[in-house]
Amino acid sequence: MPEPHPTRTAPPPRRPAEAAVSAVALTKTYGRGDAAVTALDAVDVTFDRAAFTAIMGPSGSGKSTLMHCLAGLDTATSGQVFLGGTALTALRDRELTVLRRDRIGFVFQSFNLLPVLDAQENVLLPLQLAGRRPDEQWLRDVVARLGLGDRLHHRPHELSGGQQQRVAVARALLPRPDVVFADEPTGNLDSRSGAEVLGLLRGSVREFGQTVVMVTHDPVAASYADRVVLLADGRVAGEISAPTTDDVVDALRTLGV
Amino acid sequence: MLTTTLAQVRAHAGRVLASCLAIVIAVGFVVATLCLNASSRASVLDAVGAQYRGSAVVLSETGDRAEGAPDPLAAAATAVAALPGVRATALDRTTPVQLRLPGRSGSSFAVATGLADDPGLRWQRVSAGRLPTGPDEIAVSERTGAGVGTVVTLTPEDLGEVDAVPPAPREVRVVGVVDLRGDPRAGVTGQVFASDADLTTWGAATADLLRVAAAPGADVAALRDAVTAAVPAAEVLTGDEAAAQAAAAFTGDAANLTSVLLVFGAVAVLVAALVIANTFAVLVAQRTRELALLRCVGATSGQVARSVLAEAAVVGVLASAAGVGAGVGLAAAVSALVSRTTSPIPLGAVVVPASAVAVGLVLGTAVTVLAALAPARGATRVAPLAALRPVQPPPVRSRAGALRLALGLVVLVPSAVALVVLSRAGMLTAAVGAGALSFLGVLLLARRLVPAAVSVAGLLVRPLGGVPARLAQGNALRNPRRTAATATALLIGVTLTSAMVVGAASTRATATQALVAGYPTDVVVEGADAVPTDVQGRIAAVPGVAGTSPVTTGEVSGPRETTAGAQGVEASAAGVVRSQQRSPLPRDGEAVLSVSAADTFGVADGGTLPLTGSAGTQELRVRVAPDSEQFLVLTAADLRRLDGAAAVTVVWVRLADAGDRAQERAVDAVTDVVTDSLPSSSVSGVVAERSSYDQLLRTFLLVVTGLLGVAVVIALLGVGNTLALSVVERRQESGLLRALGLTRGQLRAQLAWEALLVAGVAAVLGVVLGSGYGLAGTAAVLSAEAPVVLALPWAQLAGIVAVAAGAGVLASVLPARRAARTSPVAAIAG
Repeated sequence: MPEPHPTRTAPPPRRPAEAAVSAVALTKTYGRGDAAVTALDAVDVTFDRAAFTAIMGPSGSGKSTLMHCLAGLDTATSGQVFLGGTALTALRDRELTVLRRDRIGFVFQSFNLLPVLDAQENVLLPLQLAGRRPDEQWLRDVVARLGLGDRLHHRPHELSGGQQQRVAVARALLPRPDVVFADEPTGNLDSRSGAEVLGLLRGSVREFGQTVVMVTHDPVAASYADRVVLLADGRVAGEISAPTTDDVVDALRTLGV
Repeated sequence: MLTTTLAQVRAHAGRVLASCLAIVIAVGFVVATLCLNASSRASVLDAVGAQYRGSAVVLSETGDRAEGAPDPLAAAATAVAALPGVRATALDRTTPVQLRLPGRSGSSFAVATGLADDPGLRWQRVSAGRLPTGPDEIAVSERTGAGVGTVVTLTPEDLGEVDAVPPAPREVRVVGVVDLRGDPRAGVTGQVFASDADLTTWGAATADLLRVAAAPGADVAALRDAVTAAVPAAEVLTGDEAAAQAAAAFTGDAANLTSVLLVFGAVAVLVAALVIANTFAVLVAQRTRELALLRCVGATSGQVARSVLAEAAVVGVLASAAGVGAGVGLAAAVSALVSRTTSPIPLGAVVVPASAVAVGLVLGTAVTVLAALAPARGATRVAPLAALRPVQPPPVRSRAGALRLALGLVVLVPSAVALVVLSRAGMLTAAVGAGALSFLGVLLLARRLVPAAVSVAGLLVRPLGGVPARLAQGNALRNPRRTAATATALLIGVTLTSAMVVGAASTRATATQALVAGYPTDVVVEGADAVPTDVQGRIAAVPGVAGTSPVTTGEVSGPRETTAGAQGVEASAAGVVRSQQRSPLPRDGEAVLSVSAADTFGVADGGTLPLTGSAGTQELRVRVAPDSEQFLVLTAADLRRLDGAAAVTVVWVRLADAGDRAQERAVDAVTDVVTDSLPSSSVSGVVAERSSYDQLLRTFLLVVTGLLGVAVVIALLGVGNTLALSVVERRQESGLLRALGLTRGQLRAQLAWEALLVAGVAAVLGVVLGSGYGLAGTAAVLSAEAPVVLALPWAQLAGIVAVAAGAGVLASVLPARRAARTSPVAAIAG
């Protein structure tokens, strides 16, 4: 569903109509004066709809910062971020919060679930925050697809790490957000559980047409994506379409990791 | 380890601030109480003991003296004056006098005291003028109202001595005003001081005291022994002993007040201990990784425990010191305030006894360290490995203390049953014991009871509060021990406050009923002669009068040749009296007799009483009212048939149920009507008595609520503190929620709901418990005095719940602001 085009005096250099998320000259610096660190240096990047994109780069390359800015969790120092046609940089805290609630899904590396809520309550949390009722059929589909049927009334501490991440994926998918951001979603998982979660994320793209953006430093995880955006020193350093693990490892090696 | 400990205190100063405040308030309260007590004692000693200033030894008479015997002290004076080491002696004579000031119609009572001849034995300090030097000169205390230069009429009281000439009034001149400030006796009666010669003239034949001044360098103890040997018949004390003894007689009340205040202080200290224990438990939980790291680098579990205790000790000492300062300041403020008003307990300059300072410091530090014992023990259980594991969300459920549950039930059930039984039996001391024991049981059970109640309350508020309320319920229950401890602190204060409120309401209801039963008529107008019908009509027309009923009085004679006055009541009386419990109204053909009337006539309940009057004879059924104070009551119709001369001489008046003020105005209006038309009649009513009783209870309640407020404030600090610490602990969670779309407002609402759940549950439980204790206490205290009426002041109890819950929500404001400031990214980053 394309967003109405906002009126602006200077159109951005690139913002394809199909892009789910895009950054234009996105810059983020921390600190001031001599201590200033540039985490993102005028990054221009777009993420296609219904595609699974991985952001990769060595530690300190700015990949997490990029994701935080794209997801409206952090504010840019300069430049712009668009979610569809909405300019995030123009929004205030409350509008950003509502936007995250209604249009963005999150899967974090750890501490994804609220310990006081059971699995189902965690899954429904964003919808309840918005005061919306879940689509029952969709809820059943997602729960069945993620194999959570018999775990819905368990508290997070009663679930394994893999199960917890699957609950987090279900929570991210349920409101049918414009984009799901996954930040090192397999970082704390053993390889089998990790593969499961990555398969689910890729499945959501293939089967439901979900847009997924994932930050990872694991070449195997990146190989599940349709496209890899490489980041180094706060700049886009290249990209790979339909990557294999070896492609990613080679590309990272040329970046000097 | 000490450097690590001090670093901890510095690093977490903010986190222990609430504990510090709790200690400062509790210690301040206790220290202020002790200082005020000491100040009051010092003021009394200074003022009451003033007359012994300069006296080394004081002799007073012991035992009764045979009539006509010579004054033993006068004789002793001569003997004592000859003893070595005695510089001077003074005989203190006192006699009652009447003073009439110019321009006043009445005279007032005063006590005249003779002045010592020796200047060293003259303790009186003048605030104006000088002391009398010649005859018919007097100095007065301020209470007399006379100023310097006034000439007053002084009449020595007739002491009723046989053959004594009635004393004549004499004109005396006021030459000075004696400063008696601080002396509790000064406010009661006026004091007059005159020369010893004048006192003798005014009829003071004997002396009350013989005061002895020592020669320079003489040993007081030796002098006392010498005097004792010389005058064995008298009681001999040193001046200091006599001053202390006199002061003690007047500080008894103050000592009572002090022990009551210290009970409230103990409650405040207990509540503070709970808050501190909770704070340290949370701090240890939050510091698990730090403590584990210390264990990894070689600290023993003992060293870890000691570091927690040392931290508590540092906090305790600092906070106690601040508390002592606050207490002294409070005492100074109170005494400054009190000295400007008239108070039954005198307060001069604030005295800070070293013991109060020591008690404050030791108490505050000891309580803090004791409260930190359990958390310190918990710290020893931190395994070194915990440092290596990733941060885990805190356990949602802690292990249930089966022992605690069993112990709580074993303590609570029998003591609660005992409380009900004992209070119904009116056994106060035993009931208080049972009540205290049952409260201990409640506190032991609180860890189970509070989470269960929070869970239920959470279900109730979820429809109102949506997701934030749901999260609040979950958060309040994730650490039941912490929630229970926080709520318990508040529970104590609220329970005691509501017990007092319910007790006061029940006492009031009981007293009102007893007053109504004893004085069933609001106002009684009693004429010397008949009250004319038009006056009755005017009384009935007074605004605020709800109804009147005329009472006929007459004279009848009955068996055993007894003639007695009888009252005849109309049917309308039933609507005018408020109670027929003690004095029932008769029906036609019936006579209501008091027990003494039944004895006099020789009749029993159910029998017949033949009565004869000027108009005829009649036989009436006897009804004996055991508690009645009315001799003989018939219906007015029966009385008129017996006594032709019977007339309405009494009117019973019932007032409308307006406030005390309105009723007092109505009584005044009735009095005006009656004195206007029947000058020799009297008006009496119990309205004033009822309202003074109410006033007393209201004042008592206000004071007690204020004192318990200290404990409630400390507990609310605890609520805020626990929330603040939880906010720190849940930083990541708050971040996650913010990322998922919880607005800042919803995050603040979540904490407000959490505070509301904890404080509300504590308040409701406290009010329920307190009502029970209040009712039981009233029953135990009053059942011996009167039939107890139990009353629950619903509005006040609802007010307590509302204030406690509202203040709890207020306590969440600062932690909530802090939580809302957390950026989502910072939280996810951990």
